[in-house]
Amino acid sequence: MSKYQTSNTTAVALPKLCGADIELGNFIAGEDSALGTGYEASQALLDEIEGLPVRQPHYLNYGWASSQSVSRAGNPQDVRRRFLTGNGGCAYIDLDHLELCLPEVLDAFDHVAAWHAMLNNTRAALDSANEGRSGDRRIKVLVNNSDGQGNSYGSHLNFLISRRTFDDLFQRKAHYLQFLASFQVSSILLTGQGKVGSENGQPSTPYQISQRADFFEVLQGTQTTFNRPIVNARDEALCGRHIVDDASAPARLHVIFFDSSLAHGSALFRVGPMQLMLTLLELGLINTRLILNDPLSALQSYSHDPTLKARAKLISGEHITALELQGAYLDEVKRYAAQGVFKGIVPRAEEIIALWEDTLVKLANRDWMAVAQRGIDWVLKLLAIERAMEQRRGLHWGTPEVKVMDLLYSSLDKDGLYWAYESSGFTEPLVTAEDISYFAENPPLDTRAWTRAMLLRRATAESVVSVDWDMITFKLRGRHSWPTYRIFDMHDPLRYTRSDAQSVFDHCEDIADLLDGLESLSSPESLPFQELITQ
Amino acid sequence: MRFLEHTITAQPGQSPGDNEEASTNKLQMARSEADRLLAAGDDAIQRALSGSDSEAFLRASRQQGGE
Repeated sequence: MSKYQTSNTTAVALPKLCGADIELGNFIAGEDSALGTGYEASQALLDEIEGLPVRQPHYLNYGWASSQSVSRAGNPQDVRRRFLTGNGGCAYIDLDHLELCLPEVLDAFDHVAAWHAMLNNTRAALDSANEGRSGDRRIKVLVNNSDGQGNSYGSHLNFLISRRTFDDLFQRKAHYLQFLASFQVSSILLTGQGKVGSENGQPSTPYQISQRADFFEVLQGTQTTFNRPIVNARDEALCGRHIVDDASAPARLHVIFFDSSLAHGSALFRVGPMQLMLTLLELGLINTRLILNDPLSALQSYSHDPTLKARAKLISGEHITALELQGAYLDEVKRYAAQGVFKGIVPRAEEIIALWEDTLVKLANRDWMAVAQRGIDWVLKLLAIERAMEQRRGLHWGTPEVKVMDLLYSSLDKDGLYWAYESSGFTEPLVTAEDISYFAENPPLDTRAWTRAMLLRRATAESVVSVDWDMITFKLRGRHSWPTYRIFDMHDPLRYTRSDAQSVFDHCEDIADLLDGLESLSSPESLPFQELITQ
Repeated sequence: MRFLEHTITAQPGQSPGDNEEASTNKLQMARSEADRLLAAGDDAIQRALSGSDSEAFLRASRQQGGE
């Protein structure tokens, strides 16, 4: 159990488990349709991705499944969802976008590897979907967040936090919300993918750091498709039913703020520093001097200035650059890291902090080449575009070819610019090719995703009725061959890891026996809060 | 308009004991290698720029909003 004692209270922190649900841009090149070609493209892509259940039954729409399944009834934002027997993640269609969901991981480096594994799997689906298509009607997949025509789609992260922290953020302590929002705003330096131009009525700019910045219009809210909030308040735990009275019950922070990333550096910095900041938040270690006076206007100012000179006002009245603010947040994290605060909560915290600091130093030195090699997408994309402008006369920020380069940076097809730099060895790998290959076909070992994947591998397609993050419903043969339905509860995301469940899978073959064995495993008394050093 | 002015003020792995000439040589080698690797992406840039109709590509790339 992890505690941090102040004068009269004790705070606790949960391990910062992370999931992700990420929409892709998809369309058919060569077709100009008023409504776009996303529907046809996303359906063709999902056809090439196998998973379970084969079909979600209609009766789930009427109430005897998990709350999540019920909410999906007839929902155009959740079409044909299938969970992957390989790594325990899933794929589905959300409003004509193929959406990839990563299996839950604890380690930010595992997130990077699992993300690239899912991209590799999607590229294989893309290649299959394009077989037989003429060259001028190829399906394209873009790992980005805006089409440059006013449409944005999300790259969401999900972090495990306690119910108390969720309530503190959105119902009790405004400075928690401001602290987190200010951190996220300044973090675009590390996480932005970069974008040519502006959208959504924002002032014009040749190039900006964040793809999403133009679309954030409020500080917090539950909505995701309009008036987008910097901090999203959607309250779906995906950890069983909401237990209102239990402050230590698990909750999920649904983070819609970040851009999709290609390079390893940006992918890591979306997750690792957030894990550290959320730990501080959970323990009440808030430095209110780091709060921006107006995070929304600061976001626009920071994003629209790739020279990193823009300043924004703190509530103290001081004006500060995004780089200086990130440095201040890093100093906070380092101070508490020295006290062991992140031990058992954020795996490899020291490595994340070292990479974070090294990258900020490179940015401070304006060592753009080194920043691009570290894998900061917005810098790499900008480097490529400026290189193109040097090589071809007549190109400028307003020419369509430059916007095409912006989009093709993130293409999964053979024309993808990012992959050229990765395969040449220009960008620094933060995970190995073996790590990525592992997650293409295997689940994380240390979360419930392991048992989810293993159960789906053992089950027959006909026996899997429905799958959700926190439960699986099986249809089994009962007495006299009558079917019986059995729901396996996985509400604790940190339970049913390989070390918990391997022995059951070693000794049971039949699904019914497996479920008996898993359910007989001793239940932990509570979620594994971690002990922290007291002041 | 150019945003990125390439300046390198610190050398990767540089130690305080390195003499200035050795440091400069290491710096140049690192920069040269980075330039070489960056240039490996030039073919991809040329392919991106050689699409037959960029405006048609942009029109086709229109997405419905999501999330």
